[in-house]
Amino acid sequence: MKLNLILFCTLIIFSLAKVNAHHQYRQSYLLLEQEKKLTVELKDEKTKLQIEESSKSGNARIKQVSKKQLGMKLPNKFQKRVISR
Amino acid sequence: MKHGMKNRYEFFELSKIRRRLVLVVILSIFVALFSRAFYVQVIKKDYYQFEGFKSSNKKIDLPAYRGKIYDRQGKVLAASAPVNSITVYLPVLNEERAKKGKNKKILKVKLLKLAKLLKMNFSDLDKKLKRKKRGEIVLKRQLDPKTASKVMALNIKGITSKKTYKRYYPNDIFSAHAVGLATADGVGKEGIEKFMNTKLAGKGGSKKVIWDSKERTVGGLGEVVVPVDGKDIHLTIDSRLQEKMYGSLKKAVDKHEAKSGSAILIDSRTGEVIAMSNFPSYDPNNLTKNQTKFVKNKALIDVYEPGSTLKPISISLALEKNLINERMKFDTKDGKRRIGGRTITDHHPHGVMTVAQIVQKSSNVGTTMIFDNVKPSDLWGIYHNFGFGSKTGIEFPGERKGVHKSYESWKEIDFYTRTYGYGINGSLAQIVRAYTPFANEGELMPLTMIKSDEPVIGKKVLSKMTSNRMLKILEGVISPDGTAHQAIIPGYRVAGKTGTARGYDGGYDGTHMASFVGIAPASNPKFIMAVMIHAPTKGGIYGGVMAAPVFKEVVTEALKLYSIPQDGLTSPHNGNIANKVL
Repeated sequence: MKLNLILFCTLIIFSLAKVNAHHQYRQSYLLLEQEKKLTVELKDEKTKLQIEESSKSGNARIKQVSKKQLGMKLPNKFQKRVISR
Repeated sequence: MKHGMKNRYEFFELSKIRRRLVLVVILSIFVALFSRAFYVQVIKKDYYQFEGFKSSNKKIDLPAYRGKIYDRQGKVLAASAPVNSITVYLPVLNEERAKKGKNKKILKVKLLKLAKLLKMNFSDLDKKLKRKKRGEIVLKRQLDPKTASKVMALNIKGITSKKTYKRYYPNDIFSAHAVGLATADGVGKEGIEKFMNTKLAGKGGSKKVIWDSKERTVGGLGEVVVPVDGKDIHLTIDSRLQEKMYGSLKKAVDKHEAKSGSAILIDSRTGEVIAMSNFPSYDPNNLTKNQTKFVKNKALIDVYEPGSTLKPISISLALEKNLINERMKFDTKDGKRRIGGRTITDHHPHGVMTVAQIVQKSSNVGTTMIFDNVKPSDLWGIYHNFGFGSKTGIEFPGERKGVHKSYESWKEIDFYTRTYGYGINGSLAQIVRAYTPFANEGELMPLTMIKSDEPVIGKKVLSKMTSNRMLKILEGVISPDGTAHQAIIPGYRVAGKTGTARGYDGGYDGTHMASFVGIAPASNPKFIMAVMIHAPTKGGIYGGVMAAPVFKEVVTEALKLYSIPQDGLTSPHNGNIANKVL
């Protein structure tokens, strides 16, 4: 009778432990999935930034910005000096 | 206890009828429960198991990301970024719309906001939503994620947002022909996108997962097919020079009111294609119907008679065989020569000329005279060795090998016209490649667009001495006395050759193909560039006028960007040039 009681208690404890382990597994899996999703989002963000960098660093745009916003201009032939070797 | 009073048991005791009635009711309940259990667990077992599995288990597709395409500087030329498709499940939305009162007004306001976000007229949206079609319809494709999240924030029942990917080409129109095009489904359709599709596409996967009531993934079922992402590709293209080349071609085509223009710039030592462009081009980010006719990469697919740009190759044969030397003179008289019943002419009569002058002035008559003692098989052989009649091997779909007929079918006139580049045809890529031996001590280099660390092995087609002698002769073309003085680049020695050939479209169509192939710096070659302007109608027809300025603009930029040391100092005041000084 006593042994049966012990075994019954053990069974209850292990059953609860199994339920808890399963719950922990689900929680961890959920977190893992969220992290994976975040990885994908960051990867996408990186791609978007690369595309943006590429489209904004084109020569044509740089020339336009340097002329219009920075007021830069090419020197004329009288402003150039040749440095002899 | 008083007599006649019922005891506790007697008091609660039911009549026989009542007892039976209760028993029947209880039994009926048990029968009903048992029947239902039997129905669910035995008769409809498969159905309920399937439905239960379906609601808690789901197969998720794991997409493979299409590889990116980079230029030689590491700048992105093509990449897939997320976009969203907005869909609506009509039964759910229509149920909401059918409701009356305050909710209906709120929903209408939300739908007005939705139409605005999707940049649609409310009436058009309303029409779409009132369709008789049952189920799901797509309201908008390729919507940027920010707008999509604003749409989802409206919280309209039945509206969902699905993430997909769109291919972006940040270099727009400039690199369109080099990079190519992929469809909305991520399948390569043109150019490198098509040629390298298998490598770029990768392979999608899937996994089975368990969902909770909030539709969150809480467990895996072990059935996982791991996706394999597409590989990134690094091209030899330089997007900075792509922009420059496209701009220069556009300027030339517009100025001379030509039909089109193409150009290729390569690294003379490795055969790497640094820039390749055509005008008109197309916008790969937004290909319109009008632009579809410009999708073809003419620089690789169209073939034409190169004309005088082949003279350096044919004359190299005579130099190699020691039949001539640079100073040997030929009397071209009035610039006309009759062969096989036909007259070969020069644009201008030049009289007595040395071999170097024949190349410099591009004399057809002089060239034919050089070949009076050359066998047709030898001429055929040198063109064959220089890559005509075979593909360059470049990683591009649809490349053509051109026509280089066997010498056995040649008549006398066919032999002589081939000496100055007629009767044979090739693509601009073949022509630019055919100049690599002059820049590489006689080695023909393979063309490539994919960056690789492997050493490039060329094919020896000419002796070092002959190639150097021809390079020196070609420098004479880029001088004030030559046909391509417009290709002079201050500070650098440049070699090259012009070409003006008749346009061919099933027969000579009356148009001209003005071309130029140049090598810079001639002292230590780094770049070879071929330019072709098709059907110019204004300002002349000659390669030296039409194509040489494009070469000058692009190669000047390339020399600057790659910090190639100058051959000689120049002064902007007196205009000294390296070709003149050295």
